[in-house]
Amino acid sequence: MNTADALPTRCEVLVVGSGAGGATTAAVLAEAGIDVVVVEEGEWIAQGEIVPFSLEQMERQYRSGGVTVALGRPGIAYTEGRCVGGGTEINSGLYRRPPADVLDRWRDQYGIADFAPEEFDSIADEVEEELSVRTVPGAVTPSSGLLRDGSDALGWRQSEIPRWMEYPEGGSATSGRRRSMTETYLPRARRAGARVVSGCRVRRLRQAGHGVVVDLEVAGARREVLADHVFVCGGAIQTPALLQRSGLRRDVGASLAIHPTVKLSARFPDEVNVGDDVPVHQVKEFAPNLSFGGSASHPGLLALALSDEWPKFGQVVESWRHMSVFYAAITSEGRGRVDALPGFQDPVVTYRLTRRDRDLLRAGLNRLALVMLEAGATEVYPSYRGAPVVRGRRDLADLAARFSANRASVMTVHLCSTVPMGESDRCPVDSFGAVKAADRITVNDASLLPDAPGVNPQAAVMAIAIRNARHFAARRSGGRT
Amino acid sequence: MNSRLDPPPTTVVTGATGWLGTALLHALTAEGARWGRPGRIRALVHRASEVLVTARISPRIDPVVADITRPRSLTQVFSDLEPGSFDVVHTAGIIHPPDVATFERVNAQGTRNVLQAARAAGVRRFVHVSSNSPFGTNPIPSEYFRREEPYAPYFGYGISKMEAELLVRDSIDDGLDAVIVRPPWFYGPHQPARQTTFFTMVRTGRFPIVGDGRQRRSMVYVDHLVQGVVLAELVERPMYRAWWIADREPYPLEHVIQTVGEALRAEGYEVAENSLRVPAFVGRFAEAADRVIQKSGRYVTQVHVLGEMDKTIAVDVSAAVDDLGYDPDTSLLDGMRRSIRWCRARGITL
Amino acid sequence: MALLTVLHAPFADVLIAHDMPGLPAARRARSVDFAVGRIALMPGPTRVGVDLIAVAVRALMVVLGGARTVRLLAPVTLPLLGEYVRLHRSLAYAYVWETWPDTAVDGTPA
Repeated sequence: MNTADALPTRCEVLVVGSGAGGATTAAVLAEAGIDVVVVEEGEWIAQGEIVPFSLEQMERQYRSGGVTVALGRPGIAYTEGRCVGGGTEINSGLYRRPPADVLDRWRDQYGIADFAPEEFDSIADEVEEELSVRTVPGAVTPSSGLLRDGSDALGWRQSEIPRWMEYPEGGSATSGRRRSMTETYLPRARRAGARVVSGCRVRRLRQAGHGVVVDLEVAGARREVLADHVFVCGGAIQTPALLQRSGLRRDVGASLAIHPTVKLSARFPDEVNVGDDVPVHQVKEFAPNLSFGGSASHPGLLALALSDEWPKFGQVVESWRHMSVFYAAITSEGRGRVDALPGFQDPVVTYRLTRRDRDLLRAGLNRLALVMLEAGATEVYPSYRGAPVVRGRRDLADLAARFSANRASVMTVHLCSTVPMGESDRCPVDSFGAVKAADRITVNDASLLPDAPGVNPQAAVMAIAIRNARHFAARRSGGRT
Repeated sequence: MNSRLDPPPTTVVTGATGWLGTALLHALTAEGARWGRPGRIRALVHRASEVLVTARISPRIDPVVADITRPRSLTQVFSDLEPGSFDVVHTAGIIHPPDVATFERVNAQGTRNVLQAARAAGVRRFVHVSSNSPFGTNPIPSEYFRREEPYAPYFGYGISKMEAELLVRDSIDDGLDAVIVRPPWFYGPHQPARQTTFFTMVRTGRFPIVGDGRQRRSMVYVDHLVQGVVLAELVERPMYRAWWIADREPYPLEHVIQTVGEALRAEGYEVAENSLRVPAFVGRFAEAADRVIQKSGRYVTQVHVLGEMDKTIAVDVSAAVDDLGYDPDTSLLDGMRRSIRWCRARGITL
Repeated sequence: MALLTVLHAPFADVLIAHDMPGLPAARRARSVDFAVGRIALMPGPTRVGVDLIAVAVRALMVVLGGARTVRLLAPVTLPLLGEYVRLHRSLAYAYVWETWPDTAVDGTPA
């Protein structure tokens, strides 16, 4: 990994952020012969160095120790990656191509040029090859099997979602190595000549005639880099904040979209807890509105899931080996905002759930609880204050009656849409991510997705980022005759 | 699709004077009719004054005065029946009672009493008529209830119907051969006064459409419901034991109102343009008021109905189609027209 | 950091002692340190809000004493104050059960 000394004063393209958007951008541009520098705020940590979903990982690879909340009633906890490789280093690794009807909706409602679903198929194929997207070898983990079995008993559609993992010969479900950006596109970018500098925070961007001045902080010192072009790939929260700090405010950060989730934990007769592994099954019967899946369930996270009703529920933490945490995710009608505040490094994030969202969350949690009962749970513990212990179908009536999103632990791990792409007037960037109100700045991360896709967004982010980077590279080489 | 049992020598129908009960009595006894059957129909009525009216439907009907909330009055209903020689179709229940306590007494306790008496007498197959109410409402218009759903009862009626279902399910687990039929909002001949009021409101252009009218409601033409009940009663060795029985697709509420208007016009009535649009928040206010009223033990029909008007209650009947060969073939327009003609034939003013 | 400790540690300490009476003092101290450390990492604007609430809670503790303050706030139903309690609980429980997984519900070591 390059150190601060590797930071030049000039470069052709500077990429802010090294996650799903930044890493793919860097690889595509570097392989096209462009001089690329990637600056990343976080540190470089190799896959396997830290226990996934642990408090240590949250401290070193998540922003703000993982204690980030979108303010509102209720507040919605979210997570951001802050490390080389970004969110891809810390997420579940589940991979789903964006559905064709979502791509069509984005194209039609936001006026995105050259955005046919077929174009994405070939890019998605490449990405899947590079990342080794595949299902689990052999049997899935017990907690994943519970989702599958409970769903089957109800006649509700479920499927195993592939992950980008590499498994050793004869490996099992939990022996995979994650094919995150530090394992794939970043090494590719570096092999093609890109420089990646970690511990480097961009304060703001300044247009300067023939380039963009990138005002940043590295190793405690202020530095400036003059770039011909800047790609902003800091994620759906940091990207709009940086643009706002740089004077680009119109339609930026006002349309944050997420996948709100509520959760429960359930106890089973057998030992089902697999600690750091996330179930690969998802219930898709109610897509796109509802989706059920499993979360990391090591004892600390389980205690957290029980904490909303600790006096009644806490006791069962001692049976953690027999328990697992599951979530119900919705597509949300509501939206949120990211607002950079003068005097603060971090922006304020807010989000508003609509009534329909709240009703959907209730219905989702109730259905998920039924899946658990059908999977053989002896008790289900819904994560909201005032929740009943659910032991049978009759208790589901109480779960539904007492639920309020305001008293629940609502969270999201997916954030997008703060800088939506398209030719439509409400889009601050064009069909390829180029900022309309400025020259030489392009956004190329989850901020571009016009709304939340209803599936894990990484596949969409990567495919779009590659498409946009290729478009840029082609035009650049075209203009360089 | 499963094969069918023969109809039993005796069919016991509770709630025989109700909407579904009356329709059933006609359907089971009409000679040469689709669901007609030989044998006797034992019809439970509330009062002696209803005996004659019920008996007049067919000479094969034996009315019996009984109160399902009093276990002792039920023993004589079954006492002379041979075990295995009768089915029970339990349609008795109350939807709009004078107070909340009546829900529990009639719908839950009443069901328990009928279950017990029927089992003790050796019922062959028990058909329980349930409702959408134990499952609440759908959170968005494009959603719908699947074959299996969690309970989320909608207030007093929903809770009592959920209790009834749970009693039936417990009996099934305990060895009773029982099935559950879940119908939504009825329409069709034999309709009660409240449905007449509904038609009148549409005719005079004063039916309140809450919100944008796109909320979807599943409805069931009463003949479709009779079909569903009979198919569920006679299906041999069912793997699943509960089905939604409704018209094939849910209807946007706006479409229901328009179709009723069209049916009225087709039957020669003058219909005023429906102009009563009510903002969505009124529906929510009514729902909140309904909650408060019911919590205090009281019940006000109009508030309850208004509170439910902006909701989507949509169900998927494909399980009944697949398992039972259920085939609802009357269109909404035709069903409404037949209802109107039935009203006119009885001199009911719309 | 010292200011943060003064603001947040005392309440964290009495809250954890109340919720987990069986947790040994040494473990409780580590949990408090962990909580304060995480609060230090919070995004600026949120931190400002949390610090302000902490000032109010510290004031309550001075007036009512730690134990009564915790009993007053423990049910978590008040806005803002309730969220502050929830924050501390989330941090403490996550830390205790990740670090010592077989801890009993009242904090007693395995």
